[in-house]
Formats: sequence, structure tokens, C-alpha cells
Amino acid sequence: MSELVRRFRYPLTYLVLASFSIIGLASRPEPAELGIAPRLVLDATAPLERMVVLPVSAARSLWNDYLALVGVRHENQRLREELLRLREENLQYREAIVASERFQRLADFRSAREVPMVPANVIAHDVSPWFRSIVIDQGTSSGIRPGMPVITDEGVVGLVAGTTPGASKVLLVTDPQSRVDAFVQRTRARGSVRGRSIAACEFEYVLRDGDIRTGDLLVTSGLDAVYPKGLIVGLVADTKREPYGLFQRAQIEPSVDFGTLEEVFVLLDRKELPSEAEFASSVADLWSEPDADHVASSDLPAD
Amino acid sequence: MARLRLLALALLLLLAQQLIVALLPAWARPDLLLVFALALGLRARATESLILAFGVGFALDAMSGAPAGLYALLRGTACAATRLVDRALFLRAALPWLLFAGVYAIVDGLLLGGLMRLFAPASALGWLDVVARQLGTAVATAVVALPVLYAVTRADGESDADGTVPLMGSRS
Repeated sequence: MSELVRRFRYPLTYLVLASFSIIGLASRPEPAELGIAPRLVLDATAPLERMVVLPVSAARSLWNDYLALVGVRHENQRLREELLRLREENLQYREAIVASERFQRLADFRSAREVPMVPANVIAHDVSPWFRSIVIDQGTSSGIRPGMPVITDEGVVGLVAGTTPGASKVLLVTDPQSRVDAFVQRTRARGSVRGRSIAACEFEYVLRDGDIRTGDLLVTSGLDAVYPKGLIVGLVADTKREPYGLFQRAQIEPSVDFGTLEEVFVLLDRKELPSEAEFASSVADLWSEPDADHVASSDLPAD
Repeated sequence: MARLRLLALALLLLLAQQLIVALLPAWARPDLLLVFALALGLRARATESLILAFGVGFALDAMSGAPAGLYALLRGTACAATRLVDRALFLRAALPWLLFAGVYAIVDGLLLGGLMRLFAPASALGWLDVVARQLGTAVATAVVALPVLYAVTRADGESDADGTVPLMGSRS
């Protein structure tokens, strides 16, 4: 027996380890706090990765800010012209702001509190060419939990996929496993933004008659119970409508430049979907027959 | 000592991969850890190498956004495949080795695409997309295949001088 095991030690080892890997793959857990082993790996490598990435960011910043200034004069001229155009546009927006202030007060009344955020620095990017994630230097000790949305001032970044006390793994919106429910700001045409592990994303499941044009701004709808409504996702770069099918698709250029991402904010107020029991009871209430004893006399038709 | 040196080399390659991600565009990035796993398949201590290859894949799973177990399975399979192919073809010369590394980089992409299709169909990428994007990586991986093999041989083989671990080339 032992001779047999010894003889087939290599294939047996492969089978055992491959089985563990396949079990891991098949289980596909929801975003959660990382287990001990992955946490050890992440905690051990995060500081080293930061040491590697920091000089690169410093060199890139030096290059961009001081050395790569060719064409600045031309760009300056173009920006001046754009400034004039934007001033004119700004005047129009001011008018619109006055009109919307009343609506804003109503909206503020509904969302009485601000969403608390935790600022974090990006310390590592994904080493895999197929997936898009980053590691940030804040974790559960700062109140970050799996599933929390991550944003910057430019728009949506992604959501926390795993945490340790001192670091968190963030799945970017460009990752193929990522989905964001969004709509076109101009026409409210709704769909789902899916990552493709390249710079661009895809806007899927948009009804065929939905009005989408190149240059349209996409914002989160808030219906996925992860991202708050109204965060910028990106711009429509190209639209694609097949001669058949119920839906159309569009290519999206994310508003966030993930290549140069350095600081992000984690929104601590994660929206929770109702539990199955809560959902079932609310649906039951919705469809239940009114109790005859509790029907007010005023509701009854007059004789 | 050879084991420790190999672990240190794996960590070094992981950091080098991080640097490559920061510096090179996606199509020109070699997969250093894939070559490392392939090179482990040539080691004499086969079972130990297989465990190390799975371990490297596990570390990649922990550090990247990949589903748990994906890279562990891919890197372990890469190591086992090298051992199998090495029985039929002599991979220890320069040209066969870099050709093998380049071709396997494409196979690795296809395996990844297949596994994603199997276990996460909603996140799967199109086959053409996978092959097109893996072509550049395959060339870049072939370019670094020799230096990485040399590094693995050195890390593994230095202990040969005192006779503790056999040199790559002999089989257990």
C-alpha cells in the first residue's frame, strides 16, 4: 500500500491540491473578511509592495510635473478657449441651480445624514493581467467591512472584496466580476455596467429603445443596494445596437483613471438588502386581504 | 536552504511583477510567476515543487481579485504540465524552453478562460479576447523565461555544491 502511495505520490499530491483549489473556486464566497492564510499573505506582502510602488509613483509624478511639459503652450491656448466656453455654460448652470434649490431642500430632508467616509491610500495594484483589484492601507480597524463601496472625487472605484485589520482588497469596476447598476443621466436609460478587465467597461441590458449617445454621462442608480445613487461611473464611448435582440450595449470609459489612482474614499454606510424573512413579510403584508374588523366605517360605501 | 532560497525568489518575482504592472502596458507584461511555476516542474524534487507551485498560486489568489483557488490550480497545473512535457521533449535547452514558456502562456490564458467559464460564467471573457490579449504576454513571457529559469536553477542548484539537493536534470 505504502509502495503504491509512494509510486503515485506526485499525481496524488496534484489531485489533492487541485481538489482544494476547485472547491475554493466552486464555493465563490460573497465579499467577506479574509481567512487566516490569505490575510497573512496580504499583510506580509502589502508593505513590501508599497516599497516597490512608491518610488515608481514618485518617478512618474516627477516626470509628469516637471519633465513632460512639451506642448504646454498649445494646451494653454486650448484651455483658455475652453475656459471662455465654460464661463458661458456656468452662467446657464447658475440659473438652473436657483431652480433646483427647492428640490434640493426636499431631497436633503429625505437624506438627513451624510455618509461617513474613510480616506485610504492605494498601496498595490493587481498583479494578474485578468483581474482588476487594488489593495488599500485601511482595513477593519478603520471600520471598513466587505461590500462597502469605494469612490474618489472622479467617481466610482469599486467595492471592498476582502479585509484584514490593516488593509483591504478592492474589486475595481473594470474587473470582469464587477457589476454596477447605472443609468444615463440625460435620458435615465438603465442598465448594468460590467468590467472587462481592460480600461473600458460595457453597459449591458439597456432596453433597445433606450436613448444612449456617445458622450452621455452614466451615474449609479442606487438600485444594486451597493452604491449610493448619483455617483459618476463614466462616459459612453461607443454604442452598439445589433439588428436583433431586446437589448443594446455601449462601451463605457470609466471616469476614474485607475492607472494613476492613489487615494480613495470608502463609504462606511453600506446599504443592506432586506433579509429574506423581512422581504417575505413585507410582500405578505402587501398582498394580504384587509381584515374586516379593522376596516374603518368611513371606508364602507354609504347606503 | 534551497527551499528558503526558492521562497525568497518567489517573493522577489512577486514584487518584480508588481513593478512590471506599474511600468508596462498590459499587452507587454511577462508573467514571471508562470515561468517560475513552469521552472519548478523541471526540479528533481517533484512533489515539493508541485506544492510550492500551488503555494505561489495561492499567494496570487490572495493578492489579486481572482476567485479563490484559480491561480493555485493554474500554477500547480503549469508545474505538472512541465514535468509531463519534459518527459517527451527536452525542455532544458534555451530555445525549447522559451518556446514552451511562450506557448504555455497562451495555454494558461485559455485554461483561465475555461475555468472562469466553468465556475464564474457571468464574469467570463470571450475566447478571442483572451487569445488576442495573451499573445503579447506570451512573447514577453518567452523573453523572460531564460533568466527566470537561470534564477530558479541557481536558487535550487547552489546547494548542490554541498550535496544536499540534486541538480535540475535528474529525476526523483
